[in-house]
Amino acid sequence: MKIFLARPAVRIAIAAAFMVLFVVAPLVSTPFLNYQFSMIAVFAVALLGLNVVMGYAGQVSLGQSAFLGLGAYIAAYGVSHDWPISVVFVLSCVIPAAVGMLVALAAARLRGLALAMVTISLPIIGVPLAKRFPEFTGGSQGTTVSWLNAPGWSGLADDQWRYYVVFVIAAVLFVLGRNLVRGRIGRAFAIVKSNEAVALSMGISPYRYKVLAFTIASLFGGAAGFLYVAIVQYTSPETLSFATSINLVAAMVIGGSASILGTILGAAYYIVVPVLAGQVDSTRTALISGALLLAVLFLLPHGLVSLPRRIVQLVNGIRRRGRSTVIDPPGDNTARGTAVEPESQEQTQ
Amino acid sequence: MSLLELEDVTASYGFAPVLHGVSFHLGVNDAAGILGANGAGKTTTLRAISGMVPATGRIRFDGTDILGMSPDKIARMGIAHVPEGRGTLGDLTVRDNLRVGAYTRRDRKGVAEDIDYCLELFPNLQRRIGSNASALSGGEQQMLAVARAFMAKPRVILLDEASLGLAPSTARRVYDAIRRLRSEAGVSMVVVEQNAALAFSVVSHAIVLETGRISIEGSKEKLMGMDEVRRAYLGG
Amino acid sequence: MAYFIQLVVEGFATGSIYGALALAIVLVKRATGLVNFAQGAMAVLATFVAFGLTQAGVPLILAMAVAFAFAFAFGAGVERFVVRRFEGGDPDTAVVATIGLLVFITGVAALIWGYEPRQFPSLFPLQSIDIFGVFVSVRSLGTIIVLVVVMVLLQTLFRLTKLGLAMRAVADNPQSAALSGLPVSRLLMVGWGLAAILGTVAGVLVAPQLFISPGMLDFALVYALAAAILGGLDSPIGAVVAAWFIGVVENLAAAYIDVIGNDLKIIVPFLAMLIILIVRPEGLFGRKVVVRV
Repeated sequence: MKIFLARPAVRIAIAAAFMVLFVVAPLVSTPFLNYQFSMIAVFAVALLGLNVVMGYAGQVSLGQSAFLGLGAYIAAYGVSHDWPISVVFVLSCVIPAAVGMLVALAAARLRGLALAMVTISLPIIGVPLAKRFPEFTGGSQGTTVSWLNAPGWSGLADDQWRYYVVFVIAAVLFVLGRNLVRGRIGRAFAIVKSNEAVALSMGISPYRYKVLAFTIASLFGGAAGFLYVAIVQYTSPETLSFATSINLVAAMVIGGSASILGTILGAAYYIVVPVLAGQVDSTRTALISGALLLAVLFLLPHGLVSLPRRIVQLVNGIRRRGRSTVIDPPGDNTARGTAVEPESQEQTQ
Repeated sequence: MSLLELEDVTASYGFAPVLHGVSFHLGVNDAAGILGANGAGKTTTLRAISGMVPATGRIRFDGTDILGMSPDKIARMGIAHVPEGRGTLGDLTVRDNLRVGAYTRRDRKGVAEDIDYCLELFPNLQRRIGSNASALSGGEQQMLAVARAFMAKPRVILLDEASLGLAPSTARRVYDAIRRLRSEAGVSMVVVEQNAALAFSVVSHAIVLETGRISIEGSKEKLMGMDEVRRAYLGG
Repeated sequence: MAYFIQLVVEGFATGSIYGALALAIVLVKRATGLVNFAQGAMAVLATFVAFGLTQAGVPLILAMAVAFAFAFAFGAGVERFVVRRFEGGDPDTAVVATIGLLVFITGVAALIWGYEPRQFPSLFPLQSIDIFGVFVSVRSLGTIIVLVVVMVLLQTLFRLTKLGLAMRAVADNPQSAALSGLPVSRLLMVGWGLAAILGTVAGVLVAPQLFISPGMLDFALVYALAAAILGGLDSPIGAVVAAWFIGVVENLAAAYIDVIGNDLKIIVPFLAMLIILIVRPEGLFGRKVVVRV
């Protein structure tokens, strides 16, 4: 199966099929569905940023929503002041990136939870700040904008036009991101993630690459904010909130961290599940979302993107009675501390 | 009857088996050695006994099948494993480490007496009784690990490479104490060692493992008399 | 001056709530190596149990006792059946698992009791007493005293009892502890059970003031995390001191620095924390972590 998929002809055919799907879909579906698809694209960009810093580079970030919100506020402000849209887009990317870089410069030497705490502070500080300066942010009510209406010559409805704009921008960002993580920088991230001492010995500065990872994540976050305002036509302190950050992290893990396809799946999860859960019973959204998250973690610890692999493993395991070759999911020990390493050669002291 | 019996034991980490059908007996009040080079499977054998590594075959302790039991349950049955790397509880004091060793016992007076005995056996520990275990030197940590195992009043002590990383004189001192424990407390032992001379100062018979299989076995006299053994493990 | 002292005392009281939750977080981190984002939600669920009982006419003290018992059982159960799977694995996955728990448990509480904030009976009388011209609420004093008592009890447990010794051993090296016969599985469950009780203490202390609702401790959790990390993540005393620090600084800043009102006061402790962490990454009381290659 894998070999079949690797053949260039097959890949091009699949890519073409998806392209056709993307282009045709909005023309035949409802505004509601277009809205949902567009939102998936928006959050896919935000998640890609988060994946770069957390999945690929291994640095916990619980503050991605702050950059999303910041980008959204910049976009809303610029648009309501009639700035050229390209300028607004650039600012929505660059200003959050600058903020992210500054924070990272200060905090990238911290480890684990201390770093997580710094990232947590960002939305915590951001929300009251947003509420405090209504001239810029519209205060607690938020700002509504009206822009990106479909131009007359296209013959499209507003939701369709916005869908295309957002998808094109998202696609470009995804291609950039994909090339980044597959290239030299991505490999450096992987080394920094697995063992910083080894990275140092190879001449890769963990500190510099962490700062880079955070900057990229913030840039993507800001861009996602711009796209968010494009679709929702509104932003508020909610976008900045800590809860959003947490949900983004959950979506990333569920989709599959350190994986481009996983990012897209995670975004789909982020948008679709609350809608579905709300339809089942709106008072039970939290219950269902939480249960689903736990279920995915139990059954597919590497995320939804590992589903095909897992199915193959299970099938092989059933076929091969006796010694199964299922690779243990992370943390699949019966009690902490029963996992042992083979006879080590350590010379202690 | 044997105190400890291994029959055709196979063990692996992940896919590759490290032990291939090892069989081994330890009698009551007996001391046996497991010798071999790095990677031969000596540590894995002990880990299979103490339940730290899954294994197949048969492992019996005092007639009871212990294969598949959890490590803490096996320990409570009377097997004390001094692991490779010593397993000292670094954040706890020396005294607390010894108290942990005696966790399963209920006789407060006996525990206090045994702590005194250990401190007499290992005067270094007496000097450092209040320090955190992580502050001890390698040799002192090894002594602490052996003492802690003894505190459980076990039927068998499994010693994994007690001389590893120690200066020869320190290693000899540790083994002097182990010999004393053998004779004074009458506890059976399985001693894993690369240094056969040290092992033979305590044990009366041994097996030699090579890539997970027994290559030679026999009494101390027989093994020490064999050229291959002497050359490989006793420095000629 | 009197006003200042009042603010400080109130700060200590709020800080004590954060401190109780922070203690729970530190306990769980030391025992099982992971940070439990659901600590607040677990506490709220147990507090709701107390609430439900008081609604049925059960006296508050008894209701609280039952809530503590529930918290212990629930915490132990969560460790055994949900969290155990993720211990020793990828820490990010473990964090997300606790986040999943947070959402799920909040959902359970909302399912049974709804999202509307409800009134919760106060353990302490709602008066203020006059100490040398300073008016201090009995509730604030009571909260501080409860936390101090809890800390003393915890220290006694850990330093003087066999159970405490066992828990410390398991926290240090669970594999090695098992080799000495310690029932590691059960001890991990006890750790989580105790932590759940600590969180519930925070819950019942703060519920009368905040009005109980499923999201009641969400904010306090963030403060508690900050306190735990500031305190060094393996120091219970450090966590409480940091929590008090956060409570006091926040209150004083809100009152004395005009540009920071009640809404921006949350920024002050976090900014302070940022600065402290940058200068001293291991926290105020933590030990320097040496990473072996």
